Amino acid sequence: MPARLNPLTALAAAAATAATTTAASSWAASLTVILGGVVLAVRAGVCGRLAPAAAVILAPFWLSLLIMHGLFFPEGRTVLAEWGAARVTTEGLGFALDMGTRTAAYVVVFLLFSFTVRVPDLVAVMSARRVPPQFGYVLASTLTLAPAISGRLARIRQAQESRGLVVRGGPLPRLAAARLQMVPLVLSLIQEAGDRAQALDSRGFNGATARTSYRDVPDTAAQRAFRAVALLLAVAAVALRISGQWPDMQWPSSQWPGGVPG
Amino acid sequence: MSQQSLILPAPGQRAVRIRRLLEVLGAVSIAATFIFLVLTQPADITNGLASGSTLVALGGFLLGAILLIIGVLPTLPTSTLVLIPVALVLNIALGQIMGSTGLPFYFDAIGTVLIAVLAGPAAGAATGALSSIVWSFINPTVLPFAAGAALIGFLSGLAARHGLFRRFYLAPVAGFVTGILAGVVSAPIAAFVFGGTSGAGTGAIVGAFRAMGDTLLAAITKQALISDPMDKAIVFTVVALLVYALPRRTTLQFAFVRRFNVLAGKKQETPGA
Repeated sequence: MPARLNPLTALAAAAATAATTTAASSWAASLTVILGGVVLAVRAGVCGRLAPAAAVILAPFWLSLLIMHGLFFPEGRTVLAEWGAARVTTEGLGFALDMGTRTAAYVVVFLLFSFTVRVPDLVAVMSARRVPPQFGYVLASTLTLAPAISGRLARIRQAQESRGLVVRGGPLPRLAAARLQMVPLVLSLIQEAGDRAQALDSRGFNGATARTSYRDVPDTAAQRAFRAVALLLAVAAVALRISGQWPDMQWPSSQWPGGVPG
Repeated sequence: MSQQSLILPAPGQRAVRIRRLLEVLGAVSIAATFIFLVLTQPADITNGLASGSTLVALGGFLLGAILLIIGVLPTLPTSTLVLIPVALVLNIALGQIMGSTGLPFYFDAIGTVLIAVLAGPAAGAATGALSSIVWSFINPTVLPFAAGAALIGFLSGLAARHGLFRRFYLAPVAGFVTGILAGVVSAPIAAFVFGGTSGAGTGAIVGAFRAMGDTLLAAITKQALISDPMDKAIVFTVVALLVYALPRRTTLQFAFVRRFNVLAGKKQETPGA
């Protein structure tokens, strides 16, 4: 992905792709999107981070889908195997495949966006578009705070362990151990938040007037046009699907008795 | 003498009205989406819930959450606002601590409930919705649940405002009720957007209900009614423990805590919990 892509362009592309994939709702379309996402991730050099992140999210989800729909799908007609209450049906497996690939496409597309976007650029662009500045603050602050917190948590645990904290035994000692780590963490975070509030207030953070941004995020006419087209296409796809006019040129496993929902 | 030149200009009457309108529209959008989904679901289930409902669920709930955020966020005082990133990080970090203790709970709303207890229902709702949006930068599957998270924040703030955190045994009860409502609102998202829940345990429960012939939405709602109230009752208890473990000096910084007398104990004395 080119380094100087406007964050809004990437966001629009991700949202439009996700909406269109959801509207299409067929495993072949989803698989195409996943492959496209992986290719872009490899080109942007984030594949090494994206793959494990996506796997952590998707593996339990797929397992759960397989248990749920692979074994129990009362609407299924074609029974492949049967053990007592559990029936493996073609329809159930097809449904699990549709849902699994659709969610995978959604996860890959948005992870690709969040792993390639520059958060300061995104915040600057949003505040230029009259999104409340508070939103940008929360976004940027959280994404920078999260890694710092896990470091602090490790320090608190070391400090408590040096005072004799050992996590073992029944649930009650474990809860007590959790409390010994939580209270210092929460207390220091709230204390720091108070300090930060004073600093922000003294610099007019809550003011309603327009601000000047020193950060210049490049935007081209081509990108603006691309955004408009992508969003229009997505809206068209969504409207087609909701109005029930979606062209039925689909693959067998995504067809259900009763047709397209209205 | 006028102090006008020294302070920031107060927002005009019109801006206040627009924000109020946004909040109401957000709540209406979430409620309307939910009602639509519940009314139309029987027809959709047999269609494999292809995707009309999915798009409605995603669009309506997300729109509602975003309207709520835009409406509430600018009205929050800075001291509350700086707590929101803290709450979100707490949702993550405290979940990790709980994971390391090996207890079978997930607790992904502790930070949201903590903020709601300290700063009120509006801040809680905004925190819940915002935390879903920001957290989706790391795990995109959280994003569609923004409306449910906002509801949890709002309800826990309401519970704190009406003194349910003043008595120790009332906090889990409030959590239980919040869990029921939150589970019912989140179930359509799990059903229509993801076609199921994440995790083998919840998947097995849903499978069991499906085996009895339930529709997918009914099965997931029943699963949510088993898991969510327990989880939220524990979360509320943990937050109550946490709030009373904090020094009184810290909790009394918050105007909401002082105004509605959220916590037990006399104002000038040490906490009596």
